[in-house]
Amino acid sequence: MTEVPVKVEFNKEWIVTKLAVSEDRMVFPAPINKEILFKSVLDVSEKKNILIVTVKTDTEVVYKILSVEKVLQFLKVRILPLCNAYRLMAYFMSPAIRGGVMIKEASWEKGSVVVVKSGIWFVGALKQISVPITEVAAIELTKRDVQGKPTEVIKIDYLESAEVVSSLVLCPISTLQVLYNFLKDTTKSMDMKGTELDGVDQQVAMLVYSGMDSHAIENMLTIPHKQLDSIYDKILTLGIAEVVIIRREIQLTPKGVRYITDATKSQTN
Amino acid sequence: MGKILIVDDTLFMRTLIKNILFTGGHSIAGEAGDGEEAIAKYQELKPDLVTMDIVMPKMNGIEALKGIKAVDPAAKIIMCTAVGQEQMVKLAIKSGAKGYIVKPFQAPKVLEEVKNVLAS
Repeated sequence: MTEVPVKVEFNKEWIVTKLAVSEDRMVFPAPINKEILFKSVLDVSEKKNILIVTVKTDTEVVYKILSVEKVLQFLKVRILPLCNAYRLMAYFMSPAIRGGVMIKEASWEKGSVVVVKSGIWFVGALKQISVPITEVAAIELTKRDVQGKPTEVIKIDYLESAEVVSSLVLCPISTLQVLYNFLKDTTKSMDMKGTELDGVDQQVAMLVYSGMDSHAIENMLTIPHKQLDSIYDKILTLGIAEVVIIRREIQLTPKGVRYITDATKSQTN
Repeated sequence: MGKILIVDDTLFMRTLIKNILFTGGHSIAGEAGDGEEAIAKYQELKPDLVTMDIVMPKMNGIEALKGIKAVDPAAKIIMCTAVGQEQMVKLAIKSGAKGYIVKPFQAPKVLEEVKNVLAS
């Protein structure tokens, strides 16, 4: 067993410990005292430098492991090939396209695509990239030039720091369709019909994305506040936006009008 | 801060770009709804920069880019592209575009690209 230094969340506190890791399991020492077989791992996700591992024994238990990138990489390389997931050997290019433009240094990497409950992992010897299901914008079968030949690949579009990034997966045609169907099924909860919003609603949503506030949207689309409010309600109900700030419009009382009138007088005298 | 010509066939997108540019302190030299009008307006208004949509009627953005570059090789043109048009962007950059912005637009990214291209 290899011992690696980590911090593990236990009883809502981070404790410094040494995690013992073998080919098929990891052991948390006291006070946690748990042996985790990798095949019992149901989900793996990553947030900054924290690896979140969900394990199914009698119940589902979530372990949060914090460490340096080198240690987390070691853990990912051990856990992901054995965990309970849909797994497929493939070539992948991740990321391949950022903001609509191909990344110059992107290249095909041999490894596997691992689909867990909360996301899709591209696992190679050098890098392990996770795409949370909630960030997936689109999955499509498309053609790309591979060694000069147009070849069928799966393109996965997702959001990363509010920018659309695409990764490509290449595998034998027989398994490509199976993977495509599986990915589509996994991300089904994010699907929308495309008819939920009408023209003006869509324009409002686009303006919100562009960073326009309510006032700017009302002016640009020349719509009254009440109409914008009901469009916001529709967008919020669909779960595609959230309220970040509630602004107030106010009107002066007679006391306020008197104050402003007096203030103006004293400025002009 | 620059004087900018906005080229897009939809009024909505032109208004959006205009609003974003205003918030960045830029002024609008004019607007054009297709590639042919863009070339004519460029020669007439001599803007510091052009934001050019790719898919437009009559003459598309790539052809308009080439047309403007033919009359002014130093023209600064930013292409407006949609996700999935990466081949078009490559072609535009090859044809002399100085930068690109991706739809749907995010105001800070548009202003950053405009600033970079104006400074180039």
